[in-house]
Amino acid sequence: MREKLEQYQAYLFLIPGLFFLLLFTYLPILWSTWLSFNRWNLLSPKPKFVGMENFVNLWHHDVFWLVMKNSFIFVTVSIFPTMFLALVFAILIDERMKGRVYYIYSFFYPTLIPMAAAAMLWVYIYSPNLGILNVLLAELGFPKLGWLGSSDTSLWALIIMTFWKNLGFFMLIYLSGLQNVSRELYEAAYMDGAGWWKRHVAITFPLVGPTSLFVLVTAIILTFRVFDQIHLMTEGGPGNSSNVIVYYIYENGFKFFDWGKATSLTTILVLILLTLTLIIFGIFGKRITYSAD
Amino acid sequence: MKRNVMMTVALLIFFSLASTASAKVNLKFFYPVGVAGPLVKVINGMVAEFEKENPGIDVEPVYAGNYNQTMQKVQTAVLGGNPPDIAVVEISELFSLLAMDALIPLDEYIEQEGGEKFLADFYPGFLGNAYGRDGKIYGFPFQRSTPILYWNKDMFAAAGDKLKAAGLDPNRPPDNWDELVEYAKILTIREGNQTKQYGLIIPGGWNDWIFEAFSRQNGSQLIKEDGLTVTFNSPENLEALRLWVNLMQELKVCPVLRPWNITPDDFIGGVTAMMYYSTGGMAKIRKTAEFNWGAAFQPKRKNYGTPVGGGDFHIFKGIPKENQDAAWKFAKFMTTPEMAGHWSIESGYVAVNKAAYDRADMKAFLEKFPQMTVARDQLDYAYPKMMAVNYQLIRNAMTTNLDAALEGKKTPEEALADAHKLMEEAIKGQ
Repeated sequence: MREKLEQYQAYLFLIPGLFFLLLFTYLPILWSTWLSFNRWNLLSPKPKFVGMENFVNLWHHDVFWLVMKNSFIFVTVSIFPTMFLALVFAILIDERMKGRVYYIYSFFYPTLIPMAAAAMLWVYIYSPNLGILNVLLAELGFPKLGWLGSSDTSLWALIIMTFWKNLGFFMLIYLSGLQNVSRELYEAAYMDGAGWWKRHVAITFPLVGPTSLFVLVTAIILTFRVFDQIHLMTEGGPGNSSNVIVYYIYENGFKFFDWGKATSLTTILVLILLTLTLIIFGIFGKRITYSAD
Repeated sequence: MKRNVMMTVALLIFFSLASTASAKVNLKFFYPVGVAGPLVKVINGMVAEFEKENPGIDVEPVYAGNYNQTMQKVQTAVLGGNPPDIAVVEISELFSLLAMDALIPLDEYIEQEGGEKFLADFYPGFLGNAYGRDGKIYGFPFQRSTPILYWNKDMFAAAGDKLKAAGLDPNRPPDNWDELVEYAKILTIREGNQTKQYGLIIPGGWNDWIFEAFSRQNGSQLIKEDGLTVTFNSPENLEALRLWVNLMQELKVCPVLRPWNITPDDFIGGVTAMMYYSTGGMAKIRKTAEFNWGAAFQPKRKNYGTPVGGGDFHIFKGIPKENQDAAWKFAKFMTTPEMAGHWSIESGYVAVNKAAYDRADMKAFLEKFPQMTVARDQLDYAYPKMMAVNYQLIRNAMTTNLDAALEGKKTPEEALADAHKLMEEAIKGQ
């Protein structure tokens, strides 16, 4: 009886949170999925059901494929180096090196800067004639690059900037994950004569598995959703070379006022993220070692 | 988090109550700044002046970003049922605003002011973009410009001997396309694989606008005045685009896609000897350039030619009549000879009201800075800027394809054909 009461209480406490989740997450997803089957733009200002028309149009549109390609490049290229370096730095800092606090601060500070400020900073770093990056390149005898102004480099310039911005955040998560790994394991391995590299491959990497899973999923979602830096630094240009899915959604919705197309893209993004998350949990979720016992 | 939300809601309720409590008319005024320079301060000063003269009206100026961002803000506000009372947007947006049924015609107000006689005070070149297809007037000119050619006189003088050897006069800017190429070649200075000084910058960002000027100089246009017939793929335009690609890709005397907003800095910083830029950027150059510089008509091909540019006032539907009346009062105030002159001096935009140029302060100012008269005089060769519904989509089609051609990713033929097709689709509403 008492147990049941506690259960009801639990549901009661969940209701407010669930309410807001419904109102601000699930309803908009359903509503935008419905709209993605409608034609709704500047020239047909009332939503009109058209079935798959928006999706078919996207399928035949070059820019859509370019945007998808850019998104996948952005995600795959930025995630793995970020994760790997974040873990390595976290391990180095965790080994109680001298002045570790300063290292934590200096790696973490990009995360603290608002994205808008960071983006403006990097606009100057990438500035073609006066920016420090090109000045350095010129000093070293390399030709200056167009960075944000060239379609060959704009996406990569954004990836580098995002890497810089996110690294500290994931490092901090790994650092806290490392606190859960028992020191005794390292001592035992050390006694058995395992070297630095061997110790981490055999102990650290498997035992930060849950953290890595979390980092991987968050990083995928975060990078799929990049928007601020693109809006502020390139507006997706030149020639859509740095346009990615969320910015493309924004462009279609707020710039071109084609809500049908914008919501179709949203539906596609939701599906991609859902599938990726399910796959990742399906593959790694069961295999992860949660503790040493 | 939730507490913040509650606080915000409470504040919003408080402010909306507070604002309904006063008997004053409150005008929400969205405006963009489309060029480099601290123009927000100038606008705020003019608004304060207006409020002093009209104690019954409060104007809340909302700086809404660049032209694109301002249009987005206006569109969103209109669709959300909460339109601004008055806004300045880029002149090519008119047909999109009309498609959304967002604006009121200003004919009645203009009738009250004296109709044709009142309009005759304004430069006709700036009224070309104000009319809808129904012949009614929906826009009123405010921050208006044309692109012009800026040139660094010191750099021309420094290259004097070389220019003379090529038969060119170092004391004047190029007057036609062929000269433009010759001057740019000689004024470009290279050291090793670095370009120390460019001959010319045709900036990116608004290159569709500058391209329209080149098209006009060659006797063509981008979209006909009906807003329906696309002529982007014309042989004259192809010639213009080939000229650009030649300057940027083969001769390399002009950097590719230099961002719009940093181009004036490049001119001021001595990175380039010439640049195409809006006259709206002139105040910044006047105040910061530490060398002798000139402004000139854009060089001609068949003739001089340029589209006008900039933004007009629009008054919105779905707001109380007294707000619309007050908004008209505000638009009228901002374009009196006194205010138009003040705005022109502070920004570099052309004063839309002809009488501004008869004022003593304006005359004294122009005597010191004769460069400021160039854009006004170029109005004799100015055409309305292209207009069409779905302008943002069309502009995107033009800039992405121009960008691709200038970067050498597409041939000029492909770029024009691709853009042409997308533009026709956008007008049909595909």
